[in-house]
Amino acid sequence: MIDLAAASDALLAGRAADGDANAFGALVRRHGPYLRAFATRLTGSAADADDVVQEGLIAAWDQLDTLGEPGKVRAWLATIVSRKATDRIRSRKPSSELDEERAEDSERGPEQRAIATSQLDALSDVLSALPDAQRQCWVLKEVGGYSYEEIAERLGVTPVVVRGRLARARATVIAEMEAWR
Amino acid sequence: MDGIGGTTYTLDDLSDYLDSGRLPVNAEIEADAECQAVLASLERVGSLSRELVARDADENPTLDESWFGSLFATIALEVKAGKDIPLSSSDPHTSLSITEGAIRELVRAAGDSVDGVLVGSVRLSESVVDISISVLLGIPVTGAAEAVRQAVYSDLFKHTELAIDSVNVTVDDVHVIATEGGTA
Repeated sequence: MIDLAAASDALLAGRAADGDANAFGALVRRHGPYLRAFATRLTGSAADADDVVQEGLIAAWDQLDTLGEPGKVRAWLATIVSRKATDRIRSRKPSSELDEERAEDSERGPEQRAIATSQLDALSDVLSALPDAQRQCWVLKEVGGYSYEEIAERLGVTPVVVRGRLARARATVIAEMEAWR
Repeated sequence: MDGIGGTTYTLDDLSDYLDSGRLPVNAEIEADAECQAVLASLERVGSLSRELVARDADENPTLDESWFGSLFATIALEVKAGKDIPLSSSDPHTSLSITEGAIRELVRAAGDSVDGVLVGSVRLSESVVDISISVLLGIPVTGAAEAVRQAVYSDLFKHTELAIDSVNVTVDDVHVIATEGGTA
């Protein structure tokens, strides 16, 4: 069989849009680990991540003809996956008020955290310790690159709520990462 | 919240300023050393966040085969056949047709059969076929494109009897042999 591993994203996306499932498979093998990592940071659960990445990829296969720039297929896939992830988050969160309250409780000082060995490990710990709602907004903004309005629309809250969550997340992350400057 | 450094700007104001690409230029922020340090920190934690996800992916590069299998079982059910194209038939009581999807597959297979060529997208309109291809680095591009054109033309004729006026080949990509899982 033809080896598609050497092909560019743009070529594979073009083939996949034409209905070549093998080309889509090559894209999935290439970008699946990134999509899974993104979804895991977003949902906070590896099992949920596997599900939403799969749902997102099935949706992507159906909409490949809407992909504007084939070379940017990874970002396009990430957008679809993140939407599935936020759908899942919304379906499991009964109330955002509760979440906001919990947010206040769980803010901890850096001294309470185990010493990390690298700044990436340190950030990983800081993000994992953030309240879910704050972490989701942080990941959508900093990794997904979405605007406050887009994040608000996806999470079903107002932009003001997103702004508040990001302000708290930012204060925590900046304070705790100070030592790693 | 108190202002940062000698300014009245908060952490969130500085984040907004960063999001706007530091435009329009705010002379007060740009002149304040403490604001500059905070802006640098904000940029750093943002880029570290992206790095972190990339590292997570690098540390778990293998997809579970049963996960992959169930994804493909679903995808295989949704074949992109496209519209039917009638073929000539010698029997007046029989009508034959081929789907666009099947023609594309034929064209891809014909093009891929040329050494060092990978077919990208295939566009069909009336009796014209437009193909984009990628050519392995080091292989003469014109020769490869011509070989693809001939292979596609003859395979289409042989298998479909479609009257194709022209096969246009565009080389819009160059690839090298994959280092991982490649056939090198």
